[in-house]
Amino acid sequence: MIDKRLFRLPGTKQLLIVLAGLTLLQAFVVLFQGKYLAEALVNSWNQKALQTIILPMTLFAIAFILRHLLNLINNKIVENYASKTSEKIRSQLLDRVYEAGPSLLSEKGTGNIVTASLDGIDLIENYFKLIFTKLMNMTFIPPVLLIYIYTQNIASGITLTIIVPLVILFMIILGLAAQAKADAQYHQYTILSNHFLDALRGLPTLKMLGLSKRYAKNIYTVSDEYRRRTMNTLRIAILSTFALDWLTTLGIAILAVFLGLGLINNSLPLFPALVTLILAPEYFLPLRDFSSDYHATLDGKNALGSIFSILEKDDTKSEETDLKKLTWNEDSKLEVDNLIFNYADGQNNHDASLDIKQIQLNGYQRIGVIGKSGSGKTTLIRTLGGFLNPDKAEIKVNDQSINSLKQRTWQDELAFLPQSPYLFSGTIADNIAFYKPNATEKEIQYASEKAGLKDFMETLPEGYQTVIGEGGRGISGGQQQRIMIARAFLASDRHILIFDEPTAHLDIETEYALKKPMEELFKDHLVIFATHRLHWIKEMDYVIVMDSGKITEQGTPDELSNHNGAFNQLINNMRGDQL
Amino acid sequence: MKVFKHDTWVKPYIKKYKGLLTSVLLLGLLTSFCAAALMFTSGYTIDKAATHPVNILLIYVPILLTRAFGIGRPTFKYIERLKSHNWVLKVTSNLRTRLYTTLESDASFFNEHHKAGDIMGLLSEDINHLQNLYLRTVFPTVIAYLLTLIGSLALGIYTPAFGIFVFLLLVIEVAVVPFVSVVIENNRKERQKQLKSSLYTKLTDNILGVDDWIISGRFKDFKNLSAKDVDELNASKDKSKSFKRNRDFILQLIFAAIAICFLIFTNLTMTDNQEQANFVAAVVLSLFPLSDTLIPVSQGFEEWPQYRDSIERLNKIQPVKNELPEQVDLMPNDFKSLDLNDVNFEYSSDSPILIKHFTQHIKKGEKLALLGPSGIGKTTILQLILGDLTPQTGDIKINDIDIQSIQKNRDKIFSVLNQKPFLFNTSVINNVRLGNENRSDSDVIEAIEKVGLKDLIESLPDKYNTNVGENGARFSGGEQERIALARILLQDAPIVLLDEPTVGLDPITENNLLNTFFDVLQDKTIIWVTHHLQGIKYVDHVVFMNDERIEMQGSPEELYKNNEHFQELYKMDQGL
Repeated sequence: MIDKRLFRLPGTKQLLIVLAGLTLLQAFVVLFQGKYLAEALVNSWNQKALQTIILPMTLFAIAFILRHLLNLINNKIVENYASKTSEKIRSQLLDRVYEAGPSLLSEKGTGNIVTASLDGIDLIENYFKLIFTKLMNMTFIPPVLLIYIYTQNIASGITLTIIVPLVILFMIILGLAAQAKADAQYHQYTILSNHFLDALRGLPTLKMLGLSKRYAKNIYTVSDEYRRRTMNTLRIAILSTFALDWLTTLGIAILAVFLGLGLINNSLPLFPALVTLILAPEYFLPLRDFSSDYHATLDGKNALGSIFSILEKDDTKSEETDLKKLTWNEDSKLEVDNLIFNYADGQNNHDASLDIKQIQLNGYQRIGVIGKSGSGKTTLIRTLGGFLNPDKAEIKVNDQSINSLKQRTWQDELAFLPQSPYLFSGTIADNIAFYKPNATEKEIQYASEKAGLKDFMETLPEGYQTVIGEGGRGISGGQQQRIMIARAFLASDRHILIFDEPTAHLDIETEYALKKPMEELFKDHLVIFATHRLHWIKEMDYVIVMDSGKITEQGTPDELSNHNGAFNQLINNMRGDQL
Repeated sequence: MKVFKHDTWVKPYIKKYKGLLTSVLLLGLLTSFCAAALMFTSGYTIDKAATHPVNILLIYVPILLTRAFGIGRPTFKYIERLKSHNWVLKVTSNLRTRLYTTLESDASFFNEHHKAGDIMGLLSEDINHLQNLYLRTVFPTVIAYLLTLIGSLALGIYTPAFGIFVFLLLVIEVAVVPFVSVVIENNRKERQKQLKSSLYTKLTDNILGVDDWIISGRFKDFKNLSAKDVDELNASKDKSKSFKRNRDFILQLIFAAIAICFLIFTNLTMTDNQEQANFVAAVVLSLFPLSDTLIPVSQGFEEWPQYRDSIERLNKIQPVKNELPEQVDLMPNDFKSLDLNDVNFEYSSDSPILIKHFTQHIKKGEKLALLGPSGIGKTTILQLILGDLTPQTGDIKINDIDIQSIQKNRDKIFSVLNQKPFLFNTSVINNVRLGNENRSDSDVIEAIEKVGLKDLIESLPDKYNTNVGENGARFSGGEQERIALARILLQDAPIVLLDEPTVGLDPITENNLLNTFFDVLQDKTIIWVTHHLQGIKYVDHVVFMNDERIEMQGSPEELYKNNEHFQELYKMDQGL
């Protein structure tokens, strides 16, 4: 019901104390509301004049208003706390994303994180509201009322005391039955409930297969089957609410009967009987409120749990030695020895873990990384880019030893060009100047001319100020890649380029056209280039061939092609039969 | 309320399943009635008992009624919930069928109108919103209004003036306050929605672009990206929350006023004799349970803006009337040639002409590859060939029949395989069988064997009954293509259109897949849109398009010999 980690959130304890005070106050106000209403009613019953009920009536009204005023204050406090705290959690989540970066994303899925940071936070906010207010109400209001009822009429007190455990028992039994029933049907159930969306998404396919017209009947049949099953499950699922309702209303009915009999037997006067009857529904109210929002509570609890699990995931942060200020030049050297990287269990990667003996990168070399898909190419270049923290590695930059490349000074030297570049929602200028937000318009223009963007920019009425990305103008894959190249040209203070299949999905002529600006960009840079497009290999000074996370061969392309090893085998497989 | 003026997605369905609907409303009313009656009879029982009647039988009837109402309330509520869900789900089945058939009628829907985003997800979510509209807004509101009317009438028969007075207070509670709060909150909610979608974009920028953020070292900008939207959204939400708190408080104040009226009224009019006075507590106490019915009306109204969007979106979708010429039956075996004669096409008069003077003559069994930069209209040509789009000038003919005349049995002539073939969330065998539902299990398995999936699938615990998962997620991209290929083999149409089926696959997988494609589709006519030259040796004819015209065409061997540009491209592709 309650996640214990909640109490560790800042401000929770103070909040609970304040709420406890307010709710206790509210309990007494509810009590007075009932008491003065009963007094007024007793006077009317005694056929007394209006004047005699004015005082109790006024006090009733004051108590009633005060009760809802306290409720308002209570809500205000909880809502403020909830929005502040959930905002803090969102901010922490973003920090985590930045810190743990891609490895976190590949584990949890990008979609999940976006949803968690938006809808998840809303659910959590709601959860705070429900859990704190309703739990407090359940804790304080019924006991206060019950004690008072005992002082008025012991038998009624006992009746009300007995009903609560009964309610809880019934709810547990029926809740379990419903759960069992739902579990048994769950698999079929999800298929049925997703069937419609599946059919809509597959409509073009159905159309191609000539099935789309006939399938309409199927939509109805399946939807009706879904209805039948839902109703079957619902019949049991809402039984627990029914049991709660039934026991509480019946409790009131039984109470009324006992009180009536007691009155006839002359064992108690009207006032205690009436006040008990009035307070009985108030006694059950917190329990009913709580159970009606039970499901919303569960959703919130799950959302909070999953966010906590992201936040608490321990970082395998080894003691890092900071890399000293670095400007990569033609004499620079990076040595990596005995590199071990293992993906954590459950991390949904499509690439191999790494076990690499030795790599050495020098000056403005061009290094190609090749291998079939899943061979660990991407993992290797992401480790070299400092996106992934190796489990073990001896790394030497120039002459300084470090154990990870996840270092600000290292990444300040990098420009990264992935297979599908991510364009930010903003102008083209913003996107080009991403590594260098203060760049002047002139610099941006110069860089994009070098990247071959000039012609394209001239077709855009708003030029560099054209808004792209989400909801903006769609931009073809080739132009997206050119924007990335322009970005790298602009960031002339970054001397290491990392490419991950930058042209694999482009059409051949676009790829052909991109070669020139890219080769231009290679100059005076250390280039690390993962690819399975054969023509790039010719441009490289040195090639690393990967298989199952290990380096099977490395050397210059000429060396490698001269003997029949992993390199030649791979090239032949990739090339296929020729004309 | 303008929304409902031309609405065809909500109003007509209220008339459906009338009996069930009436019983839902009646049961809702009975639930509230029993809740009030329980307190009424309890109050009376106690008051009457307090007069110490000589005969215990005098309170026997109210005691019995108390029990009956005590049981009646939860029972009616239980049945009402079941019936209302049943009604809503029945209507949902109708709505879904209708949405499906409407979308089905519009072939181009998928291509042009709704390229962006997950429109299908949105629409199916809209139907779920309509469910909630009924369950959370319409039913509770109608029941509260009926209760207001009946309650006021009951009081009005007793004392007309008091009845009218209470009626007015109740109207404020269930109509004035809800309407006013919708009006006040409308703009704020609208703004919140905009902010939320902008926030969504920015968080996506944060998360999908995290690599670039990390490399750039712009941590502050990363954090600040969403900050402005978050702040404004929270400020606006705080206002909404504060408004809601105050509104609920006002609703309670009105309720308190009604309670005081009842107290005064009963004291003034019902204290002439003891028998009357015995009803005082009954009348006053019966009021309180009704707050459960009356106060949530405002809450239901509050959700209106969300429903409004769904209703508007659904109403925007209109069935498309396809005016096809008289249909001709063409037997698959009779197919001889496919001709595109001087085809010109533009999506709309203000968009640039996409396809210019495109002419091809494709004989039975011929294999044609179509290349060109993205956005040049390669997929558009496939859609024109299928007849989903019609050219502005020029014609497209099969044998000598216009393509529009064979639409009825188009699936007998054409098969299509896309970049991301759609697999339904069911078993492998069911997915393949969709190609031709009349074929036996062994035929289906044979097709699966031909596409080279036999070993893989038989190694799985559920074999051919293995579920492919949502969007085929259980299988890799290359395997999904193969499953879709098996489906096409069963369909057995003479012309196969391949729309970049191998983009995004690694070259080894691609080679193997192309090998299988051209092997099993040997005797078919193939039009293959592709992005590079891997596997180009399989085709008889290559066509390169650019945005002006056909840049070069011919058989690959010929082009390699005679065309320098092609040679360069081929060498690059092969790394020669």
